[in-house]
This record gives sequence, structure tokens and C-alpha cells, in this order.
Amino acid sequence: MKILLVEDDTTTIEYVVKGFIEQGHNIETASDGHQGLLLATSMTYDLVILDRMLPQLDGLKLLAALRATGSQTPVLILSALSHVDERVKGLRAGGDDYMTKPFAFSELLVRAEKLMQRGLSQPTETKLSVGNLVMELLTRKVTLDGSELMLQPKEFQLLKYLMEHPNQVVSRTLLFEAVWDYHFDPRTNVIDVHIAKLRRKFEELGFGELIETVRGAGYRLREGH
Amino acid sequence: MPAIASVKGIKPYQSSAWRITIIFSALVTLIIGTLLFGMYRQLMNEQELQTDQHLASEKARYQQMAMTLDRRSFGIQVKTADPNTALVVWRNSFDLVGALSFIPDDMPMLPQTREFPILTGGPDKLHILTGGLVMTRYGPVLIATRTDQLGTLIERFINVAITALMLAIVLTLALGYLFSKAILRRLVQYNRLSRLIEKGEYSTRLPVSWRQDEFDMLAVKFNGVLDTLENNLTAVRGATDNIAHDLRTPLSHLRIGLEQLPDKTSQELPEACAILTEELDHCLATFDAMLSLTRIEEGQQTLELQDLSIKDMCEDLFEMAEAMAELNQQTLLLSTGEDIKVTGDKYLLFQALFNLVDNAIKYAGDGATIEIVQTGREIQIRDNGPGIPSEAKDRVFERLVRLDPSRHNKGTGLGLSLVKAILVRHNAKVTLSDNQPGLVVRINF
Repeated sequence: MKILLVEDDTTTIEYVVKGFIEQGHNIETASDGHQGLLLATSMTYDLVILDRMLPQLDGLKLLAALRATGSQTPVLILSALSHVDERVKGLRAGGDDYMTKPFAFSELLVRAEKLMQRGLSQPTETKLSVGNLVMELLTRKVTLDGSELMLQPKEFQLLKYLMEHPNQVVSRTLLFEAVWDYHFDPRTNVIDVHIAKLRRKFEELGFGELIETVRGAGYRLREGH
Repeated sequence: MPAIASVKGIKPYQSSAWRITIIFSALVTLIIGTLLFGMYRQLMNEQELQTDQHLASEKARYQQMAMTLDRRSFGIQVKTADPNTALVVWRNSFDLVGALSFIPDDMPMLPQTREFPILTGGPDKLHILTGGLVMTRYGPVLIATRTDQLGTLIERFINVAITALMLAIVLTLALGYLFSKAILRRLVQYNRLSRLIEKGEYSTRLPVSWRQDEFDMLAVKFNGVLDTLENNLTAVRGATDNIAHDLRTPLSHLRIGLEQLPDKTSQELPEACAILTEELDHCLATFDAMLSLTRIEEGQQTLELQDLSIKDMCEDLFEMAEAMAELNQQTLLLSTGEDIKVTGDKYLLFQALFNLVDNAIKYAGDGATIEIVQTGREIQIRDNGPGIPSEAKDRVFERLVRLDPSRHNKGTGLGLSLVKAILVRHNAKVTLSDNQPGLVVRINF
């Protein structure tokens, strides 16, 4: 996948570029708004990661100009402006997702991959499977190693999100947004508690270690033992 | 600065009170002047009317006498006429008989009259007479009356009027000057005190007199503003100290952790880094909470308003918090009533409600029962934990106030301030009361 990163802070550039290259993605960078707009309009990318505060051309103006050319490339906005209304402004300007700095690369990766897959028009899946864990989306039936798991709606949604990103670290914020339709940092253990309940159900079947806690980052669903 | 500086150097005659005085005294002058002029005109008219009537009756009398008396008797009558009633002159063929030694030319026939001067040997040599001619059987007779006393009267009247006018002007001006000086004195005092405040003496207050006039009202209002300002300043100072304390701890942990990193084995390293990341995240969360609190309190954050069902929010709240309560062996109960719609920002309102429930779970203690009760436009969050002492009930909404002095419970200390700020923006009322035992938080939309 080909990604364009428009960002002026070199530390962030190095951090993001290193991360995406390790994940096997192709990433190009532009360090100011004009260069960013030039690249975004002249080349084809699967995703543009855009900083809001850029020299020469503000990120939102760049975005508006890009959208005005009819480009449908997914855009993920990165910003130090964390307030809800800034987020709303970014999404209204044509952004597809919004992340605030500082961020964990793992969360950026999950969000970026979600956006890039959207452009691929995959046939809608009716079944997810990770190792010996199988989820049927239509009947909402989940089996682990052949035995059925009885899940509450929120547990089902949590597990679904984890199964969509197997072997990846998924942050609490991502899980919170995926399960509840509220955007705020709960600053509490609400996700941990729900994950704990889910994990207990896994433990009953002897697979408790499948859901791994990554300290300081989030959770990871492992594929098999 | 120049605008303020010039207030102190203002002269009484530059003040607005003085301007009003000038306008006022001009008005007084105009009114008194008009009155006097009216009186003068009235007097003149009255006098003229009286003179005319007097001359008319004299004319009738002499015409009557000329008809009934013979020429000689008429002459005697004219000669012996009382000069105080009227001055009469009769031209008897070539002689002039009467009080005057001449008849001026061009005298009109009565009732038309004309003024003419005469010379006498008395102390006031020149007199003004008003009179006219009457045609009788024996020839023309001049009947005249003195009107110069009237002139003197009018002159005196004018003098008195002018004196009165001058007195009125001088008095109003003097009073106005004193008045504006008195007002200025208070303004200059206010100005001096506001300079003190400007220099940072926030405890300065304007004096309030017993008079309860508009200046006192202003002073009371201004003092109120100063009270709020001083309270806010104190709060900010307290908050700054608290922030320093709150961030110092995780920052010093970070520092220690970073120093120790080089000594870690490669197995220990990921765990150590994760712990440091968590500490850092806590600092960032405190910063974010401070920022969003300020933005909400100061109204900088625009609310994304929509119609919300209080009932639905309570149900979401219950669903989210139930597992958290379970973890502390607490029971979380939900009871909802009529489905009421309120207008508000979904994320902010939910955040506020969630913070309240989260607080109840955190502080009610293991095994407690927590209830979310929605009835109409009211939501109650009740617990049967230790509650809050009533003297602390107002303080808990202040920034960074935590009743637990050791601050060992992880939190930003901003949760309830944020709750209050969000609810205030939504015109909702939040009250804390005793649940005997425990705490009831009531939110009324």
C-alpha cells in the first residue's frame, strides 16, 4: 500500500515512516503544505496522513483543495488539537478519520489499515476466523475450538474488532470507539473490565492467553498458541 | 492609559456635571426671561388700556360740558381742571386756555393718541404726556395725561428683572460648580483606587456611602466584579499549585524510570517502557482535561447540539458501567421513567454522566449498591458508600480538589469540575445531597 505523509515535524516523520516500512508499506513524505498538495494531486496514494498545522498551507485547506479536485483518497488527519470540535471540523472538511498527537503507532496502523481496506471493495465477509476462533456475523454465533461462546452484545462487538485486527495491538481508545458510539477518553478501566469478562469466558475453555494485555498500549488477539 | 490618566487631571468645568449645569442655567434664564417679558407685556397693555379709557371718559366729559355750558363757563372749567386727572388745553380763538402753553402739531383725534414731551419748571424738567384732540362746539380741546411715571415703573421693573436673572444665573452656576466638583471628587477617588487594582492590589474595594445613590450602586457592582475576580485569581493560583503537584509525581517517576532504563535487561525493557508510557499518558490526560475544561467553561467549545433521549443515555451508562461495578462486587441498578428528549451535546453530556457514575463506583467502596434513577427530566445517581461531608459538597466541584489528601487514587482531579462545566453549559442543575448513608447526585435538565 502506498501512503503519503504530510508532516513537518522530523521526529514524527521518522517514527511514522519507520513503523509503516516495518509493516511492509510504501510511504512518501512531504514536509510542507504546498509540496503535500502537489504530491497528493499528481500521484495516486491509498492513504494520505495529514498534519493540521503545516508551513505554507494549512492542513484543512490542503484537504479542501484535494477534495475540490474530486480525489476520493482516504485522509487521516493528525493533530495536536484534541478538542471534540476540532475533530468535528477536521471530519467536516473531508477527513476520514482524526487522531490526536501524541499517538501510539499501533493505533495509527490500525486506523490507517482500516481506511486503506475501505478502498479495496472486498466482498463483505460473513465469517471471521482467527486461529481456532470462528465468528459468524449473520447468526452472531461464536465458537472457540468447536465450543460455542455465549457473548453479550458489547462483548461480541469487542471480540469482532479484535478479530478484524488479529496479532495487532489495539488501543483502548479504538476499542471504546468501536463498541460505544461516544468519542471521549473515559480515563478509566471500562474497556479493561469488559475485556476481562471476555477473557474469563475464554479461560473457561482453556484459551485465556489468546487475549493478551500489552502494557501501556492496549490489547492483542493472538492467532493460536 | 492616556484616557485613564486624563480623568485625574480633569477640571470641574470639564466635567459632564458642569455641562449639565450650563444647560440647566441657560434653561432657567430662558424660563425666567420669558416670564418677565410676558409680565412686562401684560403690564404695558394694561396701562395703555387704562390711559385710553381714562382719555375716552375725559373726552366724553368735555364734549358733554361743551354742549351744556356757555363759552365762559367752559373756559373756567378748562382752566380749573385738576391736572392730576388730565391736562386740558382749549384753543379759545387766539388764546390757549388750560394747563399747557401750547398744542403740538399733528395731534390725532381721540381715541387715537400720541406721546409728546413737555418742559416744566419742576425738578423733573422733562415729562412725557400721552393725549389727543377732541372737537367741541367751542373748538379743539387737547386732553393729555402723564405717562412718564409709568415709564419709571417699567424701568424699575426691568432693573429688578435683570437683577433677578443675573442672580439666578450666578446661583445655578455656583451650585453646579460645587456639584460637579463633588461628583469629580468621587470619580477621582474611584480612579485612584482602580489604579491600585491595576497595579495588582486586588483586595482594594471602592467605598460605599450611606446615601445609596447611583455612585454607590456603581461601587457595589464594581466591588462585586472585584470579588469574583479575586476569587478566580485565588482559584487559579490554587489550581496552578495543584497542577504542579499533580504533574510532578508522574514526571519524577518518569525521570527515575528513564535513568534506570540503560540498566534493564532486554527481557525487562518492554515492560519498563510500557510503565513509563502509562505515566506519560497520565500527564497528557491531565493536560487534555485542563484544556477541555477551560474551553467548556469559557464557552470556546461549540456544542454539537442534537435531540437526546435521557432514557437511552441512562441505558448506555448502565451497560458501560455494569461490568465495572461487578469488578468491585458492587451492584449497579437502573430504573428509567418517561422517555424525555433534551437538546445537548451527546458526547459531552454522556461524558459528564459517565464521570459521575465512575466516581460512585470508585468511591462507594466494595459491596456498595449504586443506582441510576431517571424520572422525567431528572437523573439521580445514588450510592450507599461513605458519602461526602456536607461542608465539602461545594468544594468537590472546584478544579483539582480531591478530598483524599494523599491523592493516591489515580485521577486528574478535574472530573467533577468538568461535569459541572458541561452541565452548566447545558443549563442543567447538579446538586449533591445525603443518601443516609451515601451520596445522591441529582441532575435536573
